[in-house]
Amino acid sequence: MSMFWIHFKKEMLEAARSYKWIWVPAVFLLLGVMQPVMMYYLPDILMMSGDIPPEAAALITVPPPEEILASTLSQFSTIGLLVLVLSAMNTVAGERSNGTAELVLPRISSVLPMMIAKWAAMMSLLILSFVLGYAGSAYYTSQLIGTLEWGPMLGAGAFYIAWLAWIVTLVLPLGAVLRGPAAAFIALGSAAALTMLASLLPSHLQWSPGRLSAIATECLTGGDPSAWAPAVSAVCFMALSTIAATLLLKRRPLLPQA
Amino acid sequence: MEINWGLIWPIIALQAVLAVTALVSLTKAETEQIRGPKWMWVLIILLGNILGSVAYFIGGRRAS
Repeated sequence: MSMFWIHFKKEMLEAARSYKWIWVPAVFLLLGVMQPVMMYYLPDILMMSGDIPPEAAALITVPPPEEILASTLSQFSTIGLLVLVLSAMNTVAGERSNGTAELVLPRISSVLPMMIAKWAAMMSLLILSFVLGYAGSAYYTSQLIGTLEWGPMLGAGAFYIAWLAWIVTLVLPLGAVLRGPAAAFIALGSAAALTMLASLLPSHLQWSPGRLSAIATECLTGGDPSAWAPAVSAVCFMALSTIAATLLLKRRPLLPQA
Repeated sequence: MEINWGLIWPIIALQAVLAVTALVSLTKAETEQIRGPKWMWVLIILLGNILGSVAYFIGGRRAS
């Protein structure tokens, strides 16, 4: 346990030194706040551009608040996810170059606490950023467009956090065998593939964690999705990834790369 | 069209925070730690809005 805290503090310090605690939440907050403002002014902006016949312009209206929040989530799944994964890509792979691995690896028992600490640090950043961005978006939406209900909003947020979390966790095992950027792109690619598969074959992949983002959107727009299987499998997925990362690190000691 | 500046200024302020953080990080870093010349990154951060700062934080620094 004490090993965990040592590594956790080290991860936190490193994140603070590279300003991650400022810029990642700031990006999420910006994405979240800009979306409702943009949707709110979109009809006006289109009108002012003047190229649209008035009949067509009348069709463009401000969507209901739930849809605006859902579109914020889809912003988070492109730019937000990219930012999270890219900012996490060097947590394991970076240990090669800065030498922590050499200190830690001779004592195998300390690899698992190190991994868990890295994971916990990543999750803290993820949750803080997402909650800030989501709350900002919800606040702007409710001020500009209309009130949102708490229940679906919180449910959707929880499922969405699970979705972001399992994808970001993929970086740990991949980072143990690959360089940082390669790990990041494979993680993003496999996440995209799983998510697309889950939406193509929904009946076969009930349990797939790739469904979580769709479930979050469905939660918002008024469905009552049965979502325990994907949520549970996302948690299992994260545990497996962390353990796999530990085993891979043990088997393939991190050699300093040129 | 009436623009409600109360809505817009938090967005501008956040962008400013992001850009200032990136610039502070850039000035504190040693020249060897930065990929490419520093003045290039100053331009990218100032002209590239959100994406400029994000690009600097992700790609601008070599792993220590």
